Amino acid sequence: PPGIRAAARARTRSRPAPVTDVAKLCVCDLLVAQCDVNCCCDSDCSAADFSLFTTCSVPIVTGDSRLCSQKAAIYSLDVEADPPERIFKLIDQVNPSIFCIHATNYKQALSFSSPEMPASENFDQLLKQFGNPSFSAEPDSWNMNTDAPNPSDANETYRYKYGVPIQTVDAFLRLPSPVVSSWCSDVNPAGFLVNQATKCTRSVSVEKCGNIQAVSMLFYINSSILAVNITVQSIVVQSLNGMRTLLNGSDVLRLPLILDELCINIVLGVSYHITYTDAGEIIEAAASFVLGAINKEVLSIQQSFEISFTQVNTKPVPLSGNPGYVVGLPIRAGFRPQGYPFPVEILFAALVLNTNKYSQLTILQSTSNQDCLAAQGTRTPILFGYNMISGCKLRITADMKCQPLTQTLLDLLKGQSFPEYVASFGNSQAQDVLDWVPITHLHTSEQRIYNTFQSSCQIPVSLEIEVKWTKYGSLVNPQARIVNVTATITTTTAKQLPSGRERTIPIISSVVFTDISSPAEPGYKAWPTINAKLPFDFFFPFV
Amino acid sequence: NNSYQLSSVPLQILFYVNGIYYIFYFLVTLAMIVYKSQVFSYPDDFLAPDLALLFIMAILEVLRLYLGSKGNLTEEEAPLGLSLVITVGSVILSVYFLVWQTYVLKADVIINAVLLFTYGLESVLKVIAIAAFVS
Repeated sequence: PPGIRAAARARTRSRPAPVTDVAKLCVCDLLVAQCDVNCCCDSDCSAADFSLFTTCSVPIVTGDSRLCSQKAAIYSLDVEADPPERIFKLIDQVNPSIFCIHATNYKQALSFSSPEMPASENFDQLLKQFGNPSFSAEPDSWNMNTDAPNPSDANETYRYKYGVPIQTVDAFLRLPSPVVSSWCSDVNPAGFLVNQATKCTRSVSVEKCGNIQAVSMLFYINSSILAVNITVQSIVVQSLNGMRTLLNGSDVLRLPLILDELCINIVLGVSYHITYTDAGEIIEAAASFVLGAINKEVLSIQQSFEISFTQVNTKPVPLSGNPGYVVGLPIRAGFRPQGYPFPVEILFAALVLNTNKYSQLTILQSTSNQDCLAAQGTRTPILFGYNMISGCKLRITADMKCQPLTQTLLDLLKGQSFPEYVASFGNSQAQDVLDWVPITHLHTSEQRIYNTFQSSCQIPVSLEIEVKWTKYGSLVNPQARIVNVTATITTTTAKQLPSGRERTIPIISSVVFTDISSPAEPGYKAWPTINAKLPFDFFFPFV
Repeated sequence: NNSYQLSSVPLQILFYVNGIYYIFYFLVTLAMIVYKSQVFSYPDDFLAPDLALLFIMAILEVLRLYLGSKGNLTEEEAPLGLSLVITVGSVILSVYFLVWQTYVLKADVIINAVLLFTYGLESVLKVIAIAAFVS
């Protein structure tokens, strides 16, 4: 009904007017319909209540004191009278300064103005004024135009950041990958510093041999990364039965062609190696290809693609985290070359890194037959954060000699090249010697009782590697940092067996990761200080 | 009757005093605008007209005093009449600074009132001088 609608419209358009009459303004009147204690301006208080007050919490209510003359309401308690009564005076307070405001023609000068209610008349104007993502009270016609793009950005050379797609002359460097199904999608861009390896399926046929672009080498090296051409690093040819041979001359572009009912030179795998500087520029790009052949029956092939990034002037070492270790990545370890105590500046790489995964910090890998001597050589790399335990059973016969047995067991437990140093961060470089933690070796004996027969054989039966790590860095993004690595070898006596008898002892090796990060310390605000100063005119007649 | 001097001495004295007082007025008003822009909220949209009108008023004042003084001393009514016309503009500007300025402080009221009084007195004396020159 129109009446209700009009009333509703009137209700929404009007809002309670701000109280500006000083006689009616009372800031200590907090309780509704109740008398607030010591609030002399409260209208809910009766004379009896006033007689109980000790003081007036709000002695004066004035308008803006910068005006030349303004009304003021003064509240006070007359304690002389019996009972005490409240005195209310409404006076005109005059500002004696000649810089008092006599009049003002600027609406928002002295008080907050009520915002306009949007209606159909002023909607467009309000939208123009307040519809932007930001607006200010002052018109910005005299300010600098902050929407204009920062001119200093235009002069900066293009710098890549992590994850940014690598640009080529026409689009982005493509790394085909399976998207929804296992079929290759060619629109996956390669991100800077994102090492990826993908495998996907592509449909081919011998008839369309030369027409399918994605199986031709040209497709992958055609587009040049801005100012850097993609060079062909190596070509490996895979024959129909899977045997791969490396070609000698790798500068020839081999395009698919039909030969003896086979389609040869189709791309089965591409591996990009991008070299970048620490300024974020790509300076070199190389691609290694695996070419194969298909026959008439083959309808689809699997292609594998890989991209890896290497910083210029560094050896490509797979990082285990940047900077803190990432759970699941292998722990990086290394050796100190002979004759180390040269200063680091003379020695370019103080530590020799083992890039071969299997001679890093590794642990014995259990095999199905659990026979220690048969399973020599299989080791698994220690992954950060994963506690591992493995073992095997050792059969000791009477004719085994102690010393070779000890040596064999040590080799079994520690592996052929047990490293001396472990990287404290996932991205520690070989040149930073202080970033590497030495491995502490401990020997304990299983028997508590000190055996008087010292000549009896002590054989190592367990190796426990304890890696102590801590959280390092900011609280919101803590990085794992290895602080201490201890390798404890436990030995036990091997009693000499009577001939013909044999014994089986278990050999155990384990890795334990312990978090020794100190708990977060609470931070408290500074104690409030007492700010006691004498008034500046304390020594009035003398100073 | 050539020995009679038609130039009005009180008018010339008033021109001289007006010149000195206007320099004081200009500096005080400028200083107070600067003070207001620091102490109060004085957006650029309101500050620009006030400053512009103050400078226009200064130019008009210089012109007015020069023409009036020249007319009075050379006993010509044309420059004096032009000066009277410019006085009307100066009066309007002074009223602006008295009433329609963004912030009108008590000091503004005082100096503008004095200026308006001076203008009024000058206008009367100019009319008398023109009448003396014409006749």
